[in-house]
Amino acid sequence: MKSNKKEIIKNTLISIFILSVASVTVILLQKISNSQSTVPMIYVLAVFIAALTTKGYLYGFFASLMSVLIVNFAFTFPYFEFNFSIYENLVSAFIMLIVAASTSTLTAKIKEQEKLRAETNTEKMRANLLRAISHDLRTPLTTIYGSCSAIIENYDSLSKENKVRLLSEMREDSENLIRIVENLLSVTRVREGSVKIQKTPTMIEELIDSVLIKFHKTYKDQEVTVNIPDDFIFIPVDALLIEQVLINILENAMHHATGMTELNISVHTKNNNAVFEITDNGCGIPKNKLSNIFKQQFESSGTFSDSNRKGMGIGLSVCSAIINAHGGTIEAENRKNGGALFRITLKMEESDYEQ
Amino acid sequence: MSSNRYKVLVIEDEPKIRSFVKTVLETNDYKMIPADTYAMGTTMFMSHTPDIVILDLGLPDADGIDFISFVRKTSAVPIIVLSARTGEQDKVSALDMGANDYITKPFGTAELLARIRAALRNSRFGKLPEAALIGKFVLHDMTIDYDKRTVYIKGVDANLTQTEYNIISLLSEHTGKVLTYTSIIKAVWGYPDTGSTKKLQVNMANIRKKLGIKPGDNKYIINELGVGYRMCDQNE
Repeated sequence: MKSNKKEIIKNTLISIFILSVASVTVILLQKISNSQSTVPMIYVLAVFIAALTTKGYLYGFFASLMSVLIVNFAFTFPYFEFNFSIYENLVSAFIMLIVAASTSTLTAKIKEQEKLRAETNTEKMRANLLRAISHDLRTPLTTIYGSCSAIIENYDSLSKENKVRLLSEMREDSENLIRIVENLLSVTRVREGSVKIQKTPTMIEELIDSVLIKFHKTYKDQEVTVNIPDDFIFIPVDALLIEQVLINILENAMHHATGMTELNISVHTKNNNAVFEITDNGCGIPKNKLSNIFKQQFESSGTFSDSNRKGMGIGLSVCSAIINAHGGTIEAENRKNGGALFRITLKMEESDYEQ
Repeated sequence: MSSNRYKVLVIEDEPKIRSFVKTVLETNDYKMIPADTYAMGTTMFMSHTPDIVILDLGLPDADGIDFISFVRKTSAVPIIVLSARTGEQDKVSALDMGANDYITKPFGTAELLARIRAALRNSRFGKLPEAALIGKFVLHDMTIDYDKRTVYIKGVDANLTQTEYNIISLLSEHTGKVLTYTSIIKAVWGYPDTGSTKKLQVNMANIRKKLGIKPGDNKYIINELGVGYRMCDQNE
């Protein structure tokens, strides 16, 4: 409702502005030369531009109507009075209305086509996403299905160790499936916009604590060093979603940062923002991947190389979708001394939040 | 022996989950009473008077929340909610309706058993008023002395304030159970107001500092983000 009102005001202002520019131009031109024939031309152009830059038919018609009145009143004989009995004036008025109508129709059509194209793109993206998901789901499912069958069919001949090994792998892959499903849920929650993100004041220390406990459930041996300020920092976020972002980035390091020995998560504040930095000292991010690391999996079609193993295919895209939905930023870069750095910036609570 | 076994009513419409829960419960010496709908659940509840209820929130014939209010009209039997939903709001509303705890699907057997143990223990002692807390509570390096109203870490007084002590003794009284922000605030301050969740979080941060708890290495109090806090079970 509010945006609707804003839209109306905006479009009206645009139309008025264009008409004013046209009028000023005409007045200036008339000072230079006394040519009458350029006047309607300039207003036709103004109507055309107005219809082109505004939404819907209304403003184009408004502009043409105003133009007709202005031209009739100020720039045609008899000057400074309305006269619609003159045949010429009526014709020019009629032409302007037609120009406005056809331009608006044309603009509307173009906009419709653009929308259609965008929809096709979304469809394509959705198809790619589905393909990526199916791939990510199929891999762990294959292990689980195969291992189960192996155990059931060879229950007596398999040694106890082998059975436990197969079962442990099944458990590991089930955990992967769980993560994929959680990521998917978050994407639908964020992308469809049907469910608004519920922001609650979240204390950074508690957030990091929860992240590390969940991370260590899967990666028991990987130490993560932590540097967070002593102050109580609150950020208004959907804590579970941000938790997932941080876990995804930590897991991403586990899967891709070859040679990593140190993994660190640190938080500092800057201009009323909380800045999270997750750094590792692994192999870094390949240059060709760096520029679109947060979206490539959605948009590249078809080939899902080993970079998408373990269900990480959609992990980073999910991160950026979640952070964007919070109005924050997420960046990735390589560190000077080797290794990757992921930086997330989120607004901190306004100090007058409570009042 | 068998007559002493705890009766667990499991209301869950998915047969495979029922089957796996049954296996886990029976190998750990619980008696399982299965139900697959809200209607069946209420019947079984009235005819078997179970010691504890495990309840799926997404039932085919009614919302699981309705079952909680049905039970709470007449009984204080512990209810553990199984929820496929990951939203904090569902958990909070189930807890505030009177559920004792929740487990998010998917869950492991160790987690399930730990929650059942905690819920049963709380139901045995939960009826005592807070004033009746006597003796000591020990968890790893932490000792709560209820008589002296003091918390020790490795025998050294952690110097908690009155409020901080009240929070931690409340959590210890309900070890293993999630207490929502609202329920802690009500118990400690008596009334919730705007910003009281923050007040609680700041107090918790101070408690963690005084107990020497570092992020990610927290063996005393678990943060349930957006929901509340839970004191760890001895076996976790």
